[in-house]
Amino acid sequence: MLINQLSVFIENKKGRLCDITSSLKKASVDIRAISVFDSSEFGILRLVVDQPEVGAKVLREAGHVVKLAQVLALDPSDKIGSLNDLFCLLYEQNINVEYVYSFVMPNNTGSPLIILKTDDQEKAIKVLQTSDAILIPSKNVYQQK
Amino acid sequence: MKIWSDKESLSRDEIKAIQFTRLKETLHRVYDKVPYYKQMFIDKGVHPDDIKSLDDMHLLPLTTKEDLRKNYPFGLFAKPKNEIVRYHASSGTTGKPTVVGYTKNDIEVWTEVIARLATMAGVTAEDTAQITFGFGLFTGAFGLQQGLERIGAGVIPMSSGNTQKQIMIMQDFQTTTLIGTPSYALHLAETAYDIGIDPKKDLFLKYGLFGGEGSTEEMRNKLNEAWGIFATENYGMSELIGPGVAGECQALTGMHICEDHFIAEIIDPETLEVLPEGSVGELIITPISKEALPLIRYRTKDITRLDSSPCSCGRTTTRIAKLSGRTDDMLIIGGVNVFPSQIEGVLLGIEGIGSNYQIRVLKKGYLDKIEIDVEVANSDLLDSVTLLDALYNEIAHKLTTVLGIHAGIHLVEPKSLTRSEGKAKRVIDQRNEK
Repeated sequence: MLINQLSVFIENKKGRLCDITSSLKKASVDIRAISVFDSSEFGILRLVVDQPEVGAKVLREAGHVVKLAQVLALDPSDKIGSLNDLFCLLYEQNINVEYVYSFVMPNNTGSPLIILKTDDQEKAIKVLQTSDAILIPSKNVYQQK
Repeated sequence: MKIWSDKESLSRDEIKAIQFTRLKETLHRVYDKVPYYKQMFIDKGVHPDDIKSLDDMHLLPLTTKEDLRKNYPFGLFAKPKNEIVRYHASSGTTGKPTVVGYTKNDIEVWTEVIARLATMAGVTAEDTAQITFGFGLFTGAFGLQQGLERIGAGVIPMSSGNTQKQIMIMQDFQTTTLIGTPSYALHLAETAYDIGIDPKKDLFLKYGLFGGEGSTEEMRNKLNEAWGIFATENYGMSELIGPGVAGECQALTGMHICEDHFIAEIIDPETLEVLPEGSVGELIITPISKEALPLIRYRTKDITRLDSSPCSCGRTTTRIAKLSGRTDDMLIIGGVNVFPSQIEGVLLGIEGIGSNYQIRVLKKGYLDKIEIDVEVANSDLLDSVTLLDALYNEIAHKLTTVLGIHAGIHLVEPKSLTRSEGKAKRVIDQRNEK
């Protein structure tokens, strides 16, 4: 269930995203989701890619500090209040959401999907399995062999 | 213009006679009482009796800050602890500062030389002096306080910081004399203008006595302009006595040395040869009245030259020209001495930092400021921005608590700092860049 996300340290400077995506493009790594928040000087770029190991390797070779973090990919189902249900459920179970961002899959129809990182991923999986949300298996995110 | 002591206007021969007598006493004192010095003399193949005139001083060993560190805390003291009445220590050093001690007589000499400097600068018993140096281990504040009280001036021991209150007190107490570092004085002036006080109209300042860090003529002009004062500079360092070694008179022809207490020489910092008067080189000072911590030919690392031509003020003492730099890479930030190696020590003691960093020294307004770029090396910090923020805060906190400096910190990508060939250029001085 858990998906390897690339976390990359970046400075808030011109051309940084271009550098990083160039390295991935050269290695034919497909970006499924990307997130970076505005920050004054530095931040963490988070990427879900089809080949996390390859992506991490090429970025490290290019001199970046990269960490593979385990996140959840969810289809919250396309109806009003579905995200609200999801976050309330996690709250009721005393699970803290560290970050969340959205992405789409190839052949994606219907609602956008979300990437979720909580302070207790294993517990979150158990809780979410009882909900309407659909957990997307990592093999669907990674490149099909 | 008043001259505080008749020792300031003796003939050159009279000054030299006093210097020689006191030098001999000092040499015998260190040889007999300080084993480390005795060994240094033996290693150099010289005995106090070999010194037959001031011209023989070049035979004597030089003392460095390293010698003081090696003998931390009291190894170079020539008096037992029961005769020490005061301790101070150098500002801004890590773990082991250089410790200095004073006997009753040392305090008396210190008070006397500051009284001379304050008088040279124009201060009298009519004046009220506000001291903005920090009262503590640092010698600046106490030194000035004693000497100013000696001449009858009223001392306001404000200590450092608390800028707005400084201005309020200055106004309410009608301060006439400002004591501090030149950079802090400019910062104070800026703050005064910011809160709607025009120092020239709303305050009562006449004199500024500045020290603790080198300053330029441009700085003096700015100080005079901002405050409407007559600014003078004085020179000293804790190892030698604190402030009080030399100071400017109102003729501004250089800093008059209190030569009955200090002998100045200029050497080539490379060859260590003594250079003739007028040459630019490293200033070497031998205190010749000190009882607790007599030092022989102390290397100040300050670059300057000497001038003993007559001064229009009537004093006959040799003058030190404005310092033009230092032989090593020490930074002086807001009066605090900092070596890049100390910053490195702090940074490298923190987990998650690469060994590559860069220190940039800049001017922010009138104050010198340090910016440090640090490469992030540890990927475990990428779980959340909170961890990066914590690293940032840890660096800032350690620099403040260990070194006493405030630095701007920038976390940068690994390998983003310029790698230099060979010796790394860790410190980039951008103070003169526009």
